[in-house]
Amino acid sequence: MSTTMTPVKARRSTSEKEKATPAWQKTLTSDRAARVAALLSFFLFWVVISALFARVPGPVEVVQRLVDEFSRGEVFGNFGSTLYRFGVGVALATVVGIAVGVIMGLSQLGRAFFESPVLVALSIPAIIWSFLTVMWFGFGDLSPIITTFLTSVPFVIVNVAQGVRGVSRDLRDMSTTYKVPLSRRIKDLVLPAVTGYVAAGIRFAIIIGWNGVLLAEWFGGGGGVGYRARWWYDANRFGGFAAWVVLFVGFIVLLDRFVLDRVIQRAFRWRDASA
Amino acid sequence: MAVLTIKNLAKTFNVGTPRASRVLDDISFDVRGGTFVSIVGPSGCGKSTLLNIISGVEEHTSGDISLTSDSGGPARMGYVFQDPRLLPWRSVMKNMMYVQNDRSEATVGRCRKYLEMVGLTKNADFFPGQLSGGMQQRVGIARAFAVEPDLLLMDEPFSHLDAITARGLRAQLQDIWAQSKKTVVFVTHDVVEAVELSDRIIVLQPGGRIFEDITIDLPRPRRQTDPTVATLQAEVLGRLETMKAMARTPEAVA
Repeated sequence: MSTTMTPVKARRSTSEKEKATPAWQKTLTSDRAARVAALLSFFLFWVVISALFARVPGPVEVVQRLVDEFSRGEVFGNFGSTLYRFGVGVALATVVGIAVGVIMGLSQLGRAFFESPVLVALSIPAIIWSFLTVMWFGFGDLSPIITTFLTSVPFVIVNVAQGVRGVSRDLRDMSTTYKVPLSRRIKDLVLPAVTGYVAAGIRFAIIIGWNGVLLAEWFGGGGGVGYRARWWYDANRFGGFAAWVVLFVGFIVLLDRFVLDRVIQRAFRWRDASA
Repeated sequence: MAVLTIKNLAKTFNVGTPRASRVLDDISFDVRGGTFVSIVGPSGCGKSTLLNIISGVEEHTSGDISLTSDSGGPARMGYVFQDPRLLPWRSVMKNMMYVQNDRSEATVGRCRKYLEMVGLTKNADFFPGQLSGGMQQRVGIARAFAVEPDLLLMDEPFSHLDAITARGLRAQLQDIWAQSKKTVVFVTHDVVEAVELSDRIIVLQPGGRIFEDITIDLPRPRRQTDPTVATLQAEVLGRLETMKAMARTPEAVA
């Protein structure tokens, strides 16, 4: 008696599937396509909303105002002032935040000491800090710098402290057994282990800090993006106001994508190498 | 001269609470310089706790421990753990250097020497994640020897590896030890492994007391397939069986 064997359909490997997928399909399903789609959707939404409501300036008007501001020579000076204040504030918040976060993560006593002040600082909104610093330091660079610092530092501290507490117990025990000095433990064990948390903290610092700097400039005057945005707001010209907001938000997005993202990728190259 | 001396050591976890449990009781022994001592016993008899106490990771409840060094300064310890415990974000060479006292040329040279002895010279710039489990454990062994320890502690270093890799590493460990003659305290639950590697085996019984202290007087290098090694392994296993039987019938101990 003879038996007929039905051939089993062979399953395709991932490389075969990859080869069989057309190029256009790969492009359309890529991460980059998703990002571009999100930007286009937002832009389309903006165009529609501005067409429906007279008080929402459209993209063309905003660009026109931006060109006007450039031609008046207002952009570089004001943008430079804001960038300087923002940069100093965020840098200070990063340094202080990492130091305090490491102390809170490593020491029970440090945690007990800093926990309540950090909690209080977290609950104070940027607008309150901007009022206070303008009252304390007047209309100079110091108010926006301190506001940026105070609004962003608690976020860096909380992230770093959480990261330090999560450092592998096994690696800490190994370091204790070999009597590795504290400075080397912090440099080679703690800081690399918390890089992701530090990066998240700096991202928060940037996002929260820019609120702070703009509010302090808005209320404190003395030039800057916040000051110019308020100038246009007071003049009831929303196109000019939106132009400055778009300029600064665009800068933050580019900073995040082209600087912070690359720094993080470099810090985690060991993970890519291991994959 | 004894490198490690332990007298009447005891360890109780959760002292002063209803959950208090004594894991080590009246442990006394010393380890002479240049010897390889294994501590064997069933799971939960306190082997790893004893090693953690010697290393300083864990504190003992009572008794004395003293460590001496040839240099007269504080005793230097190396530790090979069950898992390699390498910093994943540092290269193999940087992991070796992480535990060293200094960054001198001599120290770098010593690290290279031990990496060569475990056959990983070409992998010095690799991240640990780029190595197999066996290779990572070899880095752990090289790291421990490279600190030139007065006392080297090893806690079941081959238990997470497959049989073939473990056998290769045991042979490699014997070779390195024969050249360096470091003082080693090696914890294992594998009697066969202990007989192959050790000059002396301390058997711990459940409850954390020393049951027996056995001297292994066999020529080196040893291989598990040698008839004399196999005979001795069978003998030690037999004694462990006796210990287990006694533990099952408490009146026999009394």
